[in-house]
Amino acid sequence: MKCEEIGELLSDYLQGRLRADQAAEVEKHLTECAGCGEEATLWKKLALLPEEQPSPAMESRFKAMIENYQEGRWEKTNLASEKSKVPVPMLWGLGNWRQLPAAGIVWAVLFLACGYFIGKHADRGSDAAAQAQLNEMRQELGATRQMVALSMLQQQSASQRLEGVSWTTRLPEPDPKVMGALMHTVRFDNSVDVRLAALDALSRYADRPEVRRDLVDVLQTTQSPMVQVALIDLLVDLHDKSAVPQFRKFQQDPNVNPTVKKRVDWGIQQLN
Amino acid sequence: MTNSLSDEDLMSQVRSGVGEMLGVLFERYHVPLFNFYLKLTGDRPVSEDLVQEVFFRILKYRHSYRADTPFRAWMYQIARNARMDWLRKRRPESNWEPDMSPAVAPVDTAQQSQEALLLHSALMRISEDKREVLVLSRFQDLKYEEIAQLLGCEVGTVKTRVHRALQELRQAFHELQSGKPLRGKGQQGAWPTPGSVQ
Repeated sequence: MKCEEIGELLSDYLQGRLRADQAAEVEKHLTECAGCGEEATLWKKLALLPEEQPSPAMESRFKAMIENYQEGRWEKTNLASEKSKVPVPMLWGLGNWRQLPAAGIVWAVLFLACGYFIGKHADRGSDAAAQAQLNEMRQELGATRQMVALSMLQQQSASQRLEGVSWTTRLPEPDPKVMGALMHTVRFDNSVDVRLAALDALSRYADRPEVRRDLVDVLQTTQSPMVQVALIDLLVDLHDKSAVPQFRKFQQDPNVNPTVKKRVDWGIQQLN
Repeated sequence: MTNSLSDEDLMSQVRSGVGEMLGVLFERYHVPLFNFYLKLTGDRPVSEDLVQEVFFRILKYRHSYRADTPFRAWMYQIARNARMDWLRKRRPESNWEPDMSPAVAPVDTAQQSQEALLLHSALMRISEDKREVLVLSRFQDLKYEEIAQLLGCEVGTVKTRVHRALQELRQAFHELQSGKPLRGKGQQGAWPTPGSVQ
């Protein structure tokens, strides 16, 4: 048997659907042909890829959907989602841009364009006036980014919230509202990925005492081992000794995940 | 009791308004569906959103389910459509890059983990249509006939595509073993994966 002839037979062989004589023929070819043999081995090795588990948030979202359905709110939700799928004219979209993150980007571009023209005209005036206008533009652009970030952090979809987190990292100045929203995300977001991303974004503001205080506070309350480990690493990086009492509590708590305990042992060594 | 009912019986009940029966179907299929999406997109949050969307659509289009249709085929049809819609809706200006690192079970030996990592990366490198057919036949345990019905093609085409997918996988695997760089950026995840801390 040649490689060209084995095509469909190999597929059937892999799903165990050949007669014994056909299977024997394929097996003979597999021992003779390195390429086809390797393909059959790869098929088997795909079993090495583990079955992944989704986050518990998925089940809660499903339950919430079923509850809505059973309480009769379903048809309303249904209608609302239908309505949101109707394509909206561009200007209407801008009026309602908080619901449409993409329109936020359009706003940002518009501000940039305005800045360009103002900058051009300002050349005719004094340098100081031009500088002032430019600063004003920068502030407005910053404010627009901030609004986009804050509105995206409140989206239903985890991937959009992740985008929201990445927007916060584009802000030139740290802002209390954004820091508050990120801290809220670290504490309460359903998705552990979003919480970790928010923590990463917050680490940029970790030189501020109030942020550190909140981080230690989150460490006391969060249940997720992933977030606990990330927080321990961050606090150790910051050489924050105020975290040590909480680290010690973890050492004694029998319910704490063993990986977290090991991390805590390491953290205490680093901080002492 | 409900656990002994067939998928089709459960879906018929959902169709006639017994919403809680969808819970049993969710228990049966949310993990396979999540893994289907995760292996296609490499992105956990997106995969979770898509699974949610599938069950939303099952409930929304429950009246279009015919009792003589195998539920699994109908569900995967919805799952494929949901993914197509997601691909269409994905905004072009979005520069979000998925976290493609696989979670490797901690009990694995180092060599097995290394192989699993390579395999995962190789799987992500082969073309989407081949990856889909491979994921459906290898991980979702769908028969070639079911896949053919799903994709709207001949059974022979599916078998040939599985073979071609394996050929591409072998090539990608070799390229990775010989140290060729990955095509996309950010394929090694920036964050730890949940499987690594358990």
